[in-house]
Amino acid sequence: MQELDDYINKVKHLPPAPRVLPQLLPLLNQADVDCSKVVDVITYDQSLTAAVIQTCNSAYFAGRSPVDDIQEAITRLGFREVYQIVLAVSGSRVLGPEQKGYGIGEGELWKHSVCSSVAAQIIAEDKGDDTSVVFTAALMHDVGKLVLAGALEEIYAKVIEETEANQQSLLESEKKLLGVQHAEIGGRLLARWKFPANLVSAVWFHHTPSAASPYERLASYVYLGNMIAHFLGYGFGHQAFALRGRSDALEILGLTSDDLPRYMIKTVDRFDEVQKLFGVLAEK
Amino acid sequence: MAAPHPTGLFDQKVVVGIADMAVSNNQAVTLATYSLGSCIGVTIYDPVAKVGGLLHVMLPESSIDPDKAQRQPAMFMDTGIPAMFRAAYELKAEKYRVQICVVGGAQVMDSSGFFSIGKRNYQTLCAIMEKHDLKITAEQVGGMVSRSVYLNLATGEVRLKVSGQSEEVVLCRN
Repeated sequence: MQELDDYINKVKHLPPAPRVLPQLLPLLNQADVDCSKVVDVITYDQSLTAAVIQTCNSAYFAGRSPVDDIQEAITRLGFREVYQIVLAVSGSRVLGPEQKGYGIGEGELWKHSVCSSVAAQIIAEDKGDDTSVVFTAALMHDVGKLVLAGALEEIYAKVIEETEANQQSLLESEKKLLGVQHAEIGGRLLARWKFPANLVSAVWFHHTPSAASPYERLASYVYLGNMIAHFLGYGFGHQAFALRGRSDALEILGLTSDDLPRYMIKTVDRFDEVQKLFGVLAEK
Repeated sequence: MAAPHPTGLFDQKVVVGIADMAVSNNQAVTLATYSLGSCIGVTIYDPVAKVGGLLHVMLPESSIDPDKAQRQPAMFMDTGIPAMFRAAYELKAEKYRVQICVVGGAQVMDSSGFFSIGKRNYQTLCAIMEKHDLKITAEQVGGMVSRSVYLNLATGEVRLKVSGQSEEVVLCRN
């Protein structure tokens, strides 16, 4: 743990913590959400508040007259929609920038994360699990890459070489060359940002879901969401496909590999729509 | 009649999305498709008729969703390939002149075979090629990278770009 913290502390240019998200997450499970509490939490961050209102007034959501405060946005759209908007705005701030060390261009990590979330959410829907938590976990799964990208920039040629020569996954190469890997760093980062234990665990073990007990189902959704995003071409950067195929995620969720193509089709269909909301950059 | 080619002034890129295809004889056009993961991009080009097509296939077989295949044949290899060839024949392409390039089909590290969509896409393509007595002119398939592909309809040149690398490379020149 100390090693992870040391690593995170060394990094100079980390994005500011998305402080609003961990505070809103517990409210998702409440049947009757106290609106004023949500307003208090969101208005804490002024630029976020402005962005949420702007999104409420975008063509995707806009009603007859424009919304001008958060209170009204929640009344009109409902808490879950507003939560999605907060997630989109704060997530894109954190995951939007280029990650040179991984060979990931501007907007690409965000696109990957959103596609993973859509896929994970579709599987969770099918299995009757809470989709908002699944969506959030999948969206944040690669957050550890922000921490490692700087260190990898100097040694990425060596990482590629290691990966190719020894048939290692990217995760294994990171561990070997840096002593830490992006999944555990991401989990630790979310814990420091005060995200709940289930999300921390799902991100920490998103490459090895059976180790995430008691949250192995959540980690499995994230694992499969990540996999489907890769299949559909939303896996970017050097050796993006150097990840291990593990059947345990399928077993934990009671799925077979024949189910994957079906989920891929649904993901493609829904991703188009979600891209509008989540402001994924259009291809140049 | 083929569209006239105004010297570079109106050159344009037509982007083919996932599970989609485009066929054209407009020589001002470059067909492009981005981010082929386990998906496969197939280009065809008849250098005489100057007709070309690009297909971005997602899955091997249409039998898992026949309705979808009806509406969107380019999603599946077994319906996408015939659809693209038919469209090219309508623009006077000839089967035995057509050059075929194949890109994509990336594969994760998977000894279990549970996640071998890329490999299965390619195997299905090869089976269709063999059945119709067609040969692949050039290919860059498999591996652990995501790729983009471009077909220039004036020259028939096929270029590709690997994610994480800045340079485009030529896969096939006429």
